[in-house]
Amino acid sequence: MKQMQTNPRAQEGKATTIRKTFSRETSVQNTIMADPAIVWALLTHASDFPRWNSTVTSIKGEIKEGSTIELKSTLDEKRTFKLKIKEFVPEKRLVWGDAQGNRMYSIEKKAGGVLFSMTEKIGGPIFPLFAKYIPPFDESFEKFAADLKKEAETIQNSKK
Amino acid sequence: MRTDQLTAEFETFQGELKSFILRMTASVQDAEDIIQDTYIKAHAKMDTFRGEASLKTWIFSIASNLARDLLRSKKRWPETVTDICREEALGNRQFFQEAMQIRETSPQGKFEIKEHIAFCFTCVSKSLPLEQHLALLLKEVYGFKVTEITLILNQTEAMVKYYLHVSRGRMIEVFDNRCSLINKAGICYQCTELNGIFNPKQKAQEELVKIEMARDAENKTKEELFDLRMKILQELDPFESGAAELQLHHLEHNRQVIENYLEEGQ
Repeated sequence: MKQMQTNPRAQEGKATTIRKTFSRETSVQNTIMADPAIVWALLTHASDFPRWNSTVTSIKGEIKEGSTIELKSTLDEKRTFKLKIKEFVPEKRLVWGDAQGNRMYSIEKKAGGVLFSMTEKIGGPIFPLFAKYIPPFDESFEKFAADLKKEAETIQNSKK
Repeated sequence: MRTDQLTAEFETFQGELKSFILRMTASVQDAEDIIQDTYIKAHAKMDTFRGEASLKTWIFSIASNLARDLLRSKKRWPETVTDICREEALGNRQFFQEAMQIRETSPQGKFEIKEHIAFCFTCVSKSLPLEQHLALLLKEVYGFKVTEITLILNQTEAMVKYYLHVSRGRMIEVFDNRCSLINKAGICYQCTELNGIFNPKQKAQEELVKIEMARDAENKTKEELFDLRMKILQELDPFESGAAELQLHHLEHNRQVIENYLEEGQ
């Protein structure tokens, strides 16, 4: 299993993109003061995504090892992405993707909360041909991470 | 713990437990079966009760597991359950004849709007995923703490908090969209419609001012209105109230209609 490296120089909640000829990689990370189980629950309850995540319009299917989901995002509302769940390690790591790329989520436990990281790498031999048609992910990634933080911390702080 | 102690304590919350199971299953028969099975299981496992949680929490845990076993293979109900069942009821003369007979002859045959509000929640909340439904009822209606619900459902505190947050939010949204008592644009007004049928001499508006949730709807937040809806459920025993027989007859009708509807895969 490929480990996702957290970037010590990354700014909290600020997305960064590395562009290469045959690939593009966007990442974001932020600290969430919530139990890893809450962050994991939010990332894996497919039908609940649109309620808290302003970048996802809908997800059909179940987010579990080996399954396929159909995701619609605000980046391109006309398009449905059919994505396979490639890695599913509860409360640690989730990867989904298709032939063009993968989206990796990582949850790293730290004092009082978690360090959440999200990276999407797209690319391949024909990437230069379609690269200009793919919108930048930075803003969407920042919103995703901020929404996740807000929702997870709200749940964490809900009354007992 | 001795049998007589178990029986005595069981009896102190048996009514609550039975209403909880009814609100999970929407079936009187299932509620009665599960109550019996819960007692039998508790009696058989009495020696394993260590008192780490209260007996009530332990018994609710047994009952919740039995309800889960029963409901796990069944489809959840649609949020539009009351619309679907209304259409069926309108074409079912026998249903209204039976209901009218209960209304006229039974000491538990009154029609009261607040009873119907509780009945409506029982139907609509069955659209929530099973674990969320269990958690929501345990917390909002039966007053268990998150820490107790973690024991009852055998879930982490984080997951229980997630279930409670999501289910409460979902129900607030559904009722805000649907319920004309709290939102003038709400599409469902069955409680006042049925009040007109069963209590033709009564003015619905005069009844509604007696119900805090309806009376103060314009001055309350959605959260507060949901709390007031839960208060109605907390105060009603669906087996013992003055409207119990009428509402249970209606609930059985809805259960049968929805099970057929789901079976036909519509």
